[in-house]
Amino acid sequence: MGSTTFGNETSWLYPYKSNLYFFALLILLLLLLAYYVGIYYVFSQDYAIETPLKRSSTVEGQALYEVRINYDSSNPVAAMNFVLKEEETGAWFQHKGRDFRIPLMNNLQQYAGNEAQRQSFSIWQGSLNQLSNFLMKHDVSDFEDQENNSNIHQILMKDYYEEYSVIKAEFAQNSLTVTVKSGGANKMLVYFDTDVPGDVTIHWGVCKDKNIRWELPSAPFPPSTRIFRQKALQTALQPKADGSGSWGLFSLEQEIQGVLFVLKLNEYTWLNNKGTDFYIPLTNVISFSSQSCTDCISEDQLSSKEKDIREDQQQLVDKNQTIHQVLYTDEIISGIRNLVTDISSVRGKKAKSREAQESILQEIEKLAAEAYSIFRSSSPAFLEESILESDQTKISGNVSSGTGSGYEILCQGFNWESHKSGRWYCELKPKVVELASLGFTIIWLPPPTESVSPEGYMPKDLYNLNSRYGSMEELKDLVKGFHAVEIKVLGDAVLNHRCAHYQNANGIWNIFGGHLNWDDRAIVADDPHFQGRGNKSSGDNFHAAPNIDHSQDFVRKDLKEWLCWLRKEVGYDGWRLDFVRGFWGGYVGDYLEASEPYFAVGEYWDSLSYKYGEMEFNQDAHRQRIIDWINATNGTAGAFDVTTKGILHTALEKCEYWRLSDEKGKPAGVVGWWPSRAVTFIENHDTGSTQGHWRFPSGKEMQGYAYILTHPGTPAVFYDHIFSHYQQEISKLISIRRRCNIHCRSMVKITKAEKDVYAAEIDEKVAVKIGPGYYEPLSDSHDWVLAAEGYEYKLWEAS
Amino acid sequence: MEFATAFRHAGVAAPELIPARSWAAIGGGSCGRRAGRSLIVLNPTRDAWVRRAVPAVRSVIAAEKLTPSASKGAGTGPVQLFVGLPLDAVSNCNTINHARAIAIGLRALKLLGVDGVELPVWWGIVQPDLSTSGAGNWSSYLALAGLVLEAGLRLRVSLNLHSSETPAIPLPRWISRIIEANPDILCAGRSGLRCRDCLSFAVDELPVLDGRTPIKVYEDFFLSFRSAFSELFGNTVTDISVGLGPNGELRYPSSQQLAGRRRPDAIGEFQCYDKYMLADLKKHAEESGNPLWGLGGPHDAPEYNQAPDSSGFFRENGGSWQTPYGDFFLSWYSEQLLLHGDRLLSVASKVFDDLPVRLSAKVPLLHYWHRSRSRPAELISGFYNTEGRDGYEAIANMFSRNSVTMIVPGLDLADGDERQELLSSPELLLSQIMTACKRHRVRVSGENSLLSRDGFYRIKKHLLSENSQVESYTHQRMGAHFFSPEHFPLFTEFVRSFALPELDADDMVSDEERKMTLPNHAASGNDREMQAV
Repeated sequence: MGSTTFGNETSWLYPYKSNLYFFALLILLLLLLAYYVGIYYVFSQDYAIETPLKRSSTVEGQALYEVRINYDSSNPVAAMNFVLKEEETGAWFQHKGRDFRIPLMNNLQQYAGNEAQRQSFSIWQGSLNQLSNFLMKHDVSDFEDQENNSNIHQILMKDYYEEYSVIKAEFAQNSLTVTVKSGGANKMLVYFDTDVPGDVTIHWGVCKDKNIRWELPSAPFPPSTRIFRQKALQTALQPKADGSGSWGLFSLEQEIQGVLFVLKLNEYTWLNNKGTDFYIPLTNVISFSSQSCTDCISEDQLSSKEKDIREDQQQLVDKNQTIHQVLYTDEIISGIRNLVTDISSVRGKKAKSREAQESILQEIEKLAAEAYSIFRSSSPAFLEESILESDQTKISGNVSSGTGSGYEILCQGFNWESHKSGRWYCELKPKVVELASLGFTIIWLPPPTESVSPEGYMPKDLYNLNSRYGSMEELKDLVKGFHAVEIKVLGDAVLNHRCAHYQNANGIWNIFGGHLNWDDRAIVADDPHFQGRGNKSSGDNFHAAPNIDHSQDFVRKDLKEWLCWLRKEVGYDGWRLDFVRGFWGGYVGDYLEASEPYFAVGEYWDSLSYKYGEMEFNQDAHRQRIIDWINATNGTAGAFDVTTKGILHTALEKCEYWRLSDEKGKPAGVVGWWPSRAVTFIENHDTGSTQGHWRFPSGKEMQGYAYILTHPGTPAVFYDHIFSHYQQEISKLISIRRRCNIHCRSMVKITKAEKDVYAAEIDEKVAVKIGPGYYEPLSDSHDWVLAAEGYEYKLWEAS
Repeated sequence: MEFATAFRHAGVAAPELIPARSWAAIGGGSCGRRAGRSLIVLNPTRDAWVRRAVPAVRSVIAAEKLTPSASKGAGTGPVQLFVGLPLDAVSNCNTINHARAIAIGLRALKLLGVDGVELPVWWGIVQPDLSTSGAGNWSSYLALAGLVLEAGLRLRVSLNLHSSETPAIPLPRWISRIIEANPDILCAGRSGLRCRDCLSFAVDELPVLDGRTPIKVYEDFFLSFRSAFSELFGNTVTDISVGLGPNGELRYPSSQQLAGRRRPDAIGEFQCYDKYMLADLKKHAEESGNPLWGLGGPHDAPEYNQAPDSSGFFRENGGSWQTPYGDFFLSWYSEQLLLHGDRLLSVASKVFDDLPVRLSAKVPLLHYWHRSRSRPAELISGFYNTEGRDGYEAIANMFSRNSVTMIVPGLDLADGDERQELLSSPELLLSQIMTACKRHRVRVSGENSLLSRDGFYRIKKHLLSENSQVESYTHQRMGAHFFSPEHFPLFTEFVRSFALPELDADDMVSDEERKMTLPNHAASGNDREMQAV
């Protein structure tokens, strides 16, 4: 993360006074940056109180927060424990991983012992404090004053004063604004403005023709510029007067087509545009502003680029986050850096040799990153036959966890009964080749962990992967089998809740065991069944098991580690995320960023809108909730298109096919609004199988598949349907989808949406109709050839 | 040797400085095969050690000018590392693709300490049209070779005589025109489907190409290459690899990718159904006294999209492959492949004989079904290698006769990763090929098959193993994935750790030595490198 993170030091003051009957505890909080902090302290019994700190005074421009706790000294209380919580972020501050502890009366000997221990910490305090500056973990180190200690020893109850420093690392979200305007006299002015703290150097070049190639502009260069290897300039930006960032103004000739740049923060930290250079086109004569200027003030003659709005929003979010996202370059750098450390640690500490090595490795990693970005963007110059091929390379270059390659076809590889035999993994293994030849690219396997319920959705010890579906070894073997036929494997990750191993003192099951032995702080506070000591849930509660409090740092850290472990150990390529309604999508984004899945899809399932028992035509609110969740994950995950399933139910059941087209003539589900993130399905282990919570209209399944397998989005086919008499028909639809290269962003044109028939053309390659009504595609632009047909559906291919 | 250069530059005074017992540990497997030479062993090992100690430095300062070292017969240096350039480095309209990315990539590889790169050259791109002089358009390839020379790397040139689907690189246009007129010069399976990858092996010595034989045409192509690259042999071009069939490998194009999806367990069809192959088969059958056997290929072999056990020929027990007919057919079929390889390699040997380059050719690693008795994937590709019959003996013998290095792919594959239901065993097959090569003293050059994460560990195991015969290794191949954050750090680690097998703290040179092995050359070399751009 390097300098993208900055730490704030916070000092704590704990004077306390005593008189005959009362102790007054005064806790003062000195903050460099003002934020609200609550104090959470625990008396030595089993409960805790949360008390907000009050802002009391301002010393030298720094806010001071305090809380005064009056305490009756006649009570036999040994000590007061507390931890601090930052209200805004939910971050906890502890003392070396434990509670802060203020020893009170009646416990003098023990306390003296503690003190001696504490003194020993202070020996290496100084250097530790500096080192920990960049640690992401919130850590609190104590500063101790010899004098104070002795005071405590001697005076005991009279005065207690201790100072701790709290270190807090923060993700910073910064932006860079580039504004271009005409500077008269054949000149253009390019203005860079950023709030990235510290020194920022722009490593830039210009493009003199349409080839986006780094070239030097003609002199004179802006002040404090140096030439980098005759092909780029490095210009240090000037700090702004108010210290909130820096700026630079470059004057360029009118002929220049564009400006390429990356940011350099220091030797190790380069910021780029998701693996490629930032590029500001200066053509179209006048001026242009794009990239990450979410809120740039409009200059005269300013225009901004408009793309597909939804995707663009997405990109803007991405761009703003470039700065705290792990960048490609950074990854390479850190990968190689670890290596360097390994090598050099073996080599001893000779600084010189290390430097020589490291400078070469740095050079290598920079070159590799550059080569990578060019290879990714360059499309080879081939003659006509190869157009298809280069198309395909483009596709594979575009993999993201929200969409996979964009051409995925998902198979749900189990049903509600799959646990019954105890050897599902072994039973599925012989079907691997068959599933591959049917054309699936991704399989979703059942939840792998030890679970209170045999189906796996009540996980207990997350690191125990022996379940009713088989052993961990069998699972790994199965995953290998799928990989051999190039099918990616999704693990079913239940992150919302987790079943406890032990009861607490009140007999409540809320203490976890196993590798992740969390206590009740890992459980959300607002479910009375489980008496969690965490924060309030960031989503809906699932009442059958303790809901995990994802706002806790230690929980998130453990879950990230777990997901990465699953990726590495089992070989999972991605996730199906269970019950994501239960917690904030931002946390999901966090987990996906850490575990870097090839594909991820969340189950956000709530009810559609009904009025007087009849489904409403407009289900925008329903799909908006799903889209809000996807947005919260930053688009890193797709979501099951529950809306589409619901609308299909009514349309097919009641013969109301007009429901499939929304008011704007688009598909009425999530797939109509954000197709690339919609995972369309008609049935799963909950809705169908032996549970049948919301079963798809019986006998009309093939209409459902004719719809989802021809439409954009990523279709998911349910196990029970694959291995049924529908197999032939499903197989045919999949092969048509693949043959026609229909993908998650394909264009759909609804040509008919009436009472008894719905028809659409997709990418002008496939026409489909479902419903009993008559329909034939118009053969004005294409000749349509019947490609498949079945009960109340028909497919045509353009010839 | 370039390492000697590095050694001088590095300034290690005498081998005695390094504790002798460290050789065993440092040298690891790569020294092992040189054991038995006791004292003299120290020299190459010492070079190797310097290489290990300062791989990156070596790359900067070492081969300032490459010595024409790798002539034929030279040989027991440490394993040479190559990286394949993109298959489409030169496009099918004869222009350089990704020139900038390749130039940058070459510099990264050089700094990393890689020895060289492999350049795939396509017949169809160089000689798209028939010219009487036999000349071709080598300009793009020469330009690429120039980049390689500039980067200070070595070049292994692969002369590909086949066509490729991905990327799409066809056979020369003039060959395609002849094919239109006489499709029988292409291999064909029983279903009549013709494979456009390469010409039928049966026409090698028939004047089917406007009066010339394919072998003659290949020879002209080799000569054209030789004259175009004449100035680069020895110093830049140190290896030439000759494509012997589809995918550049010695095999029949039996399992060509068909349009549409293909069953993963299908193996393809016997490629003996073009007119010329059938004629040869007929003649051979008549000579052996069973004219009826020469009327066609096995009637009970599977079709393209069928599993091998779907019909009688490959049945594990009592399949036709075990009958006298089966033996007759398979012997003939594999013999044709062997003859084809021999013809091409003799011509190549003749053309390149006096050059200071090594000649190599690639065999496939047909590991599917290797655990079965009939090994259908190998049989159908022309390797008569069943339970109880070693088909690689004859192949190794043929390579040995022509003094050609055998390129073996799949060093990264492991049995555990393969599909058990396909009875695959890359490891057993590799060891069988290696054994045959050892027996016939054939040099081996390794390649990977996939760019997988786990592969590196296995490759390293092969290269550093006690009795490894692998003298060079080519990592396939450069491209976006190669430089991606998922792959490149692993590759870096691979190259470096390969150069630096886990050292014990005990085996470390002392600080003084390190000062000597890592002199200021490193820094100055680096500066120069940076200014040069």
